[in-house]
Amino acid sequence: MSSKRFDQAKPFLTLGIIMLGWLMLPVAVKSFLRVSFAELQAPGQVTASYVRDLQQFWADRTHSKDELIEAARDLRHVYAGYEFQAQRTEAQQAEIDRLERLLHLPSNPRYRYEPARVCRRDLSGWWQQLTVRKGSNYDIPVGAPVVYAGGVVGRVREVRLYEADVDLVSSPQLRLAATFDDDTRPVSYQGRSNPPLAPARGLVEFVPPDIVIYSTAPRRLVTSGLGEFPAGLTIGYVSRLDTSPDGLFQSGEVTLDPRLTELMEVTVLVPLPPG
Amino acid sequence: MYRRWLIVFASTLLLWSLVGQLNHCLAPYSVFISAGGLMVTFAALRLNLRNGLTATILIALAVDSVEPVPAVGHHLLYGPHLLLFTTAHVFIFHLRTRFPREEVLFALGTALVANLGMSLGLFFIYVELAAPSASGTAALRMLADLGWSQLFILVTAPWFFSLQQRALELCNFDLSEENHRFY
Repeated sequence: MSSKRFDQAKPFLTLGIIMLGWLMLPVAVKSFLRVSFAELQAPGQVTASYVRDLQQFWADRTHSKDELIEAARDLRHVYAGYEFQAQRTEAQQAEIDRLERLLHLPSNPRYRYEPARVCRRDLSGWWQQLTVRKGSNYDIPVGAPVVYAGGVVGRVREVRLYEADVDLVSSPQLRLAATFDDDTRPVSYQGRSNPPLAPARGLVEFVPPDIVIYSTAPRRLVTSGLGEFPAGLTIGYVSRLDTSPDGLFQSGEVTLDPRLTELMEVTVLVPLPPG
Repeated sequence: MYRRWLIVFASTLLLWSLVGQLNHCLAPYSVFISAGGLMVTFAALRLNLRNGLTATILIALAVDSVEPVPAVGHHLLYGPHLLLFTTAHVFIFHLRTRFPREEVLFALGTALVANLGMSLGLFFIYVELAAPSASGTAALRMLADLGWSQLFILVTAPWFFSLQQRALELCNFDLSEENHRFY
């Protein structure tokens, strides 16, 4: 009778031992297990990503020569515009450097631009992350800003040998210092829990009460330059602000670019050492 | 020599990577599939405690390794999937003798119930403990994702159970042996 009882209790006893053992395990061991299992899965994820690229390559091959010539012509126009802008940026950067030297100002942080393919999108209700196909093999540091053509993508949270996890700007774990594009006062931005079958959203808080936004003319929210992100990168658009109960500040919802959930390629800004 | 837990772990890892690919494709539609219930059901219903729990622990560690670690207060809670998967495994294992555990229909029902429990568990850990201010929208999203996940399990569970059973048979393991060896 007692043996039968013990047999029935054995699974729960085992569960108790496993849980107790796991809770008492040092964090270093847990981290080691985490990294080991992630590296074990990395080849599978990266291979799937390369297979998708190959699939895209064969899909692109089906385009006719006329279509390709047309696309190349359009790209030449865009390229000419960007080349002109690049020259202007270079001249402005030289001017900034000259003024910094003249006024003995600390220089702005500089970055190396590391393009990376997205190999996994993992956007659930409680976390929003991307995995990119470059890691410590490309010297990507934890906390590095990640951007794309539409502005901020997020921040590198974890780096492995061949991959890095990026917390998306829509993730509730990500908080940034931001400003409105024609105002210098900093406000707080944080990702929100995202609704089903709808684009991602964020929340802007601590907005001074004199800032007015009309729903017909949404205002652009950009990075403030405080923290690891360079200033002026688009976070999203705010179309309405509500005053907080104490009347001191306003808060509102930030509409994020829907392209964030479809990203195939991003750029990691790797900070360069000063000087 | 192949081990039972290794075969079940490998096939579950295949399912996990397929779910990952599906989530990658569904991301633009704000849909997320979680199939935790399906991952533990076969091991809990058909294998003995040692083999089944080993496979479940390994797959839980694999899932935990690529998902963010929730921060509860100032502490990081490592292994939320490990805690949920092993708990679900033990509960299914404890109850399995009372039911026709070799029936696909029963296994399917078990996977659906386990998935429901795990989704609630994850919601509790990631939202109620880690970010309680966001629980309203997160609950709505969780309900929607749970609906899609249950639909996914309903469609794929018979194939997945069959895959695991065939994989064990190919390696000359007799599952009827497991019916007599519980622990």
